[in-house]
Parts: sequence; C-alpha cells; structure tokens
Amino acid sequence: MEISLPETCSAETVAELWRSALPVVARLGEGDKLALDAEAVVTCDGAGEALIVELYRRSARQGFAIACRDGRGVVARTLEFFAVERFAEDSAAANPVRKTSTAVQLGEAVVHIWQVVCEQMAFLGEAATAFATLLFRPGRLRLRDTLLHFERAGIDALPITLLIGFLFGLIVAFMAAASMSRFGVEVYVADLLTIGLFRELGALITAIILAGRSGSAFAAEIGTMKVNEEVDALETLGLPPMTFLALPRVFASTLALPLLSIFAIAAGLFGGAMVMTATGLPSTVYWQRVFKAATLSNVLLGLFKAAVFGLLVGLVGCSQGLHTGRTADAVGRAATAAVVGSLTLITVFDGIFAVLFYVLGV
Amino acid sequence: MKDAVITVKDVDAGYTSPVVREISFDVYAGEIFVILGGSGCGKSTLLKHMIGLNPPLAGEIRLMGDRLFGVSQEERLRALRHFGVTYQSGALFGSMTLLENVCLPLESFTDLPREARCLVAEMKLELVGLKEYACYFPSDISGGMKKRAAIARAMALDPRILFLDEPSAGLDPVTSAGLDRLILHLRDTQGVTVVMVTHELASIFAVADRCVMLDKQEQRLIATGSPAELREHSEHPAVRAFFNREG
Repeated sequence: MEISLPETCSAETVAELWRSALPVVARLGEGDKLALDAEAVVTCDGAGEALIVELYRRSARQGFAIACRDGRGVVARTLEFFAVERFAEDSAAANPVRKTSTAVQLGEAVVHIWQVVCEQMAFLGEAATAFATLLFRPGRLRLRDTLLHFERAGIDALPITLLIGFLFGLIVAFMAAASMSRFGVEVYVADLLTIGLFRELGALITAIILAGRSGSAFAAEIGTMKVNEEVDALETLGLPPMTFLALPRVFASTLALPLLSIFAIAAGLFGGAMVMTATGLPSTVYWQRVFKAATLSNVLLGLFKAAVFGLLVGLVGCSQGLHTGRTADAVGRAATAAVVGSLTLITVFDGIFAVLFYVLGV
Repeated sequence: MKDAVITVKDVDAGYTSPVVREISFDVYAGEIFVILGGSGCGKSTLLKHMIGLNPPLAGEIRLMGDRLFGVSQEERLRALRHFGVTYQSGALFGSMTLLENVCLPLESFTDLPREARCLVAEMKLELVGLKEYACYFPSDISGGMKKRAAIARAMALDPRILFLDEPSAGLDPVTSAGLDRLILHLRDTQGVTVVMVTHELASIFAVADRCVMLDKQEQRLIATGSPAELREHSEHPAVRAFFNREG
C-alpha cells in the first residue's frame, strides 16, 4: 500500500486522506509494508503531523513496516518533535465521549438530592441564627441594601404585577361569567373573584412573578460574587455572608410580596369590574359584592401567605447563590435551581396552608 | 525586506472616544512583538481592535493582508483563521476537559474525524507540556497550567499569529519564566508570530524582539524599538520611568 502526502498537509487535505487511507492501514499486519511518500510536502500543519504520528503509531502497534521517502525531512522532523511512544495509547479511546448509565445517573441524582437537603437544612439553621442575632443587634442589618433590594424586587416589579393581575382578573371573570350566566347568578362572579384573589391567586401569581424575577436574580448575583471570590473576601473581613448578603434580600422579598399581592389583587378586581360592567352588571353592585366578600380573615390570610411565599423565594434564591460552584455554568444552574426550588416550595406550602386553614375553619 | 504580517495604520483606539490616537506600526513574520504601557493606556483596547472584537474608531488594521471589519462574513472568517488568542484569565470552558477545549476549534473549523481531532489536540497539549492533564477540567489545574492550555487551544488550528493578553498576569516568577520559554519555543519551532500585551519587565526582556509603548497622558505611541534600545537610549521620561522605575 502507498500513501502520498500532498504538497500542503493541512486539516483540509488530511481529513479526506484520514478517512480513505486509515481504514486500509488498519488491515495491515506483520510482514506488510506501507510506502509513505512525503517528497511533495512543502508545508505541514498540526493535522498533517497528526497523520504522520498516527501512521507510525499504527506501525508500532500492528507490526507493519513503513518505507518513507522524505527528501525534505518533514516526517523526520515531526517524529523528532513528537515521540511516537508518547502517543502509544489511542487518543480517542483514552478520552472517550462521557457516557453514564441510567443506574449511575439515578444514584448520582439521589446523592445530589441528599446533599441539597443537607445544604438547605444547614442554610436554614444559619439563617435562623443570623436572624436571632439581629433581634439583639438590629443595627447589623444593612438597611440601605435591604431598601435597594426592596426597590428592585418590589417597586420595579409593580408594572408587570399590575398587568398580569389585571389580565388574570379579566380572564377569570370572563370565564366565570360565561358559565354562571346560564344559571342567572353572574352577580356572584364578584364574590368568586374576590375570595379567589384574596385567599389564593393574588399571593400565588405574585410569588411566581417574584420567583422568576428576583429569586433567580438573587442566586445569580450572589453566585457571581462567589465566582469572583467576593464572598470569600467578606468572610475574611469577618462579615458573615448570611447577614451581609442573604438577610437583606430575604427581608426585602418578605416585605415586598404582600405589598405586591395587594396591587395584583386590586388590578385583578378592576379587570373583573371591566368584564362585569360589559355584561350589564351595574358597577355599584359589583363593588358592593367585592367589599362584602373581602372579609378581614380573607385579607389577612392572603397577606400571610404572601409573606411566607416571599420568605421562601428569598431563602431559596440566596441559598442557591451561596451554594454556587465556581464556574460560569454553575451560576446559570443556581439561577435555574432558585426558580424551580421556589416554585416547588410555594406549591407545597400552598397545599399545606389549604389543609391547615380547612382544619382550623378559617 | 521582511514580510509584515500585521499592519496597523493611523488607528485611533477606544470605544466611544479615543484612548490613544494615530497608532501605526508593522509586525513582521516570526517576531515577538510586545505592546506595553501603564494601566489604562489602551494596550488591551488596541489588542481588541487587532483581534476583531471591536472596530477601531479610525484607521485600518490588516492581518496577513486581510481586514476584519468592513468585509463580508467569509472574508472575516478567513481572517480569523490567521490567528489564535489567549486571554488574561485563560478563558477555558469550565464544563470541558483540556482536551475538549483544544478540540473545540478543530470541531468548528475542520472536517477531521474525531480520532484525528483528539490526536491533534493531544499533540498541542504535548507542545505546552500538558499531555498528562488532557482529561482534567480547568478547575483542577493551576493558573500557569490554564495559561498553557489556553495557548494550546489558540494553537489548535496552527495560526500564523498568536495574540497573548497579559500572559504572565497573576503568575509567580518561576511559572512566568516557564511561560516565556514556551513562547520562545513556539516561535522557534512553529514559526508563529507573537503579539503580546504585558507590562512585566522580566517577560519583556526575556522574549521581546521589538516593542511599542503607549502613553496615557499623551494619548499616543511614544516609543518603538527593542527592549534594550528603549531602556538604554530613550529620552522620553515615561519610557525611562517604565524601564528604570524612575519617578
């Protein structure tokens, strides 16, 4: 067999040669001879050198001889520079495409979940300790940072909260009115909307907005600070990251969510009013029913749930940020985990509250 | 007459307003050329213009006769193949092993089969003394090794020009000297032209054939020559301060 190297041994010319000639070379064995003609080679880049090394590596492994015509010394220079015995192992086999079996993935996932649970428990304990310390030394809370995060998580989120709340009220009222008008009880749409928004939907939709906007931002901000070693710097300065970074964000989200939910509920009720007025219900009747249904217990229940959801979003976001790895993709993963974790916990706690309030008869 | 592989002509470097103005110089094949100056003088900005990340505010830069701005996408891609770049931090992709990092440009720009790409990447890692670390992730190796791996990745497509942004930044003198030897080795064995931005005097004297110095106050190129020439003969106070550490 004979292989002639082209004048320019570059990735473009070698790729074809690699595909066509090497399967034939693979069949050569002891006693066979490969004629390698490198007379024409003028320039030889990394891909050309790799082909030469590969041929000599296979010769050593398979036992065939290479008769080389190398007038310009290209092959000799390459072999002098890259000792073939240093590349005895097959590069692709030595660096296989990473594959893991389902069982391994499942095991790793279980270990990961356990680690996350332990981390979260440790974080909760640390947060509780920091909070208890603040009760005795409230001056340690960074009020300026807390207000800044309140502005970002609360005031900046107002337009989107109002829009979504309004559209939500509009859609729910429209769908309810369409069904209830068949029984002539469309006047109760106002009650349905008021109770639904105050007890459940107001807090829930606002919490989802906060988790998407601010929970991920908390995780990404703190995660990036960790990558930049700013969190390490805080610790060495004697400033606990929990008090310095996490608590201002947690307080801000806990305060912001009930206030945002009030705006979302108000916007939703206005959306409902628009639909009901269009269906012919006098607006005074609608608002009378609204104020009658908005009992103190309904209002307080909604605000309490909103505050708990805000606390959850803040805690999960900051926890994910502080447990971020030290790479760029780890920050992305932390932001995703913050949103997913917040939404999961919000749903779980919403279910717990539903059962609890039912049992308590509230 | 030597061949100019890089031509910088009347370039105003900056993003919105010029940091340095009317920069002109040529870089010749096979030389190690250093752009130096104090912090904020526009060294890295000029480098970003040269590698096509940002267009210069005025003037023209040609690499092997090709321009990177004001040309078609095909012409730009062809010009990009002329050079490799290493960044201050190394900029290795953290989710990939060193071998995968070096394989990446080969995957994007060539039709080589996988085993060929892996062998080329291993040979590039061997070139920088990191073959044994091919399966390591960037987070598992030291800063000096990251710089070496970044050079291997920059060399993957056998560029004619290698741009190095602060290669010695954050390294100890011994590691830094090792990196200087590697740069000289690459120039001597691979025939690559090196353009380096640095203010490390030891590195400049170890590797540079020629350098240009930029000045923040005067907003221009204030000196050109070999490091020894600049140190011994320059009358410019900023150059003397830089090389002799005079106030």
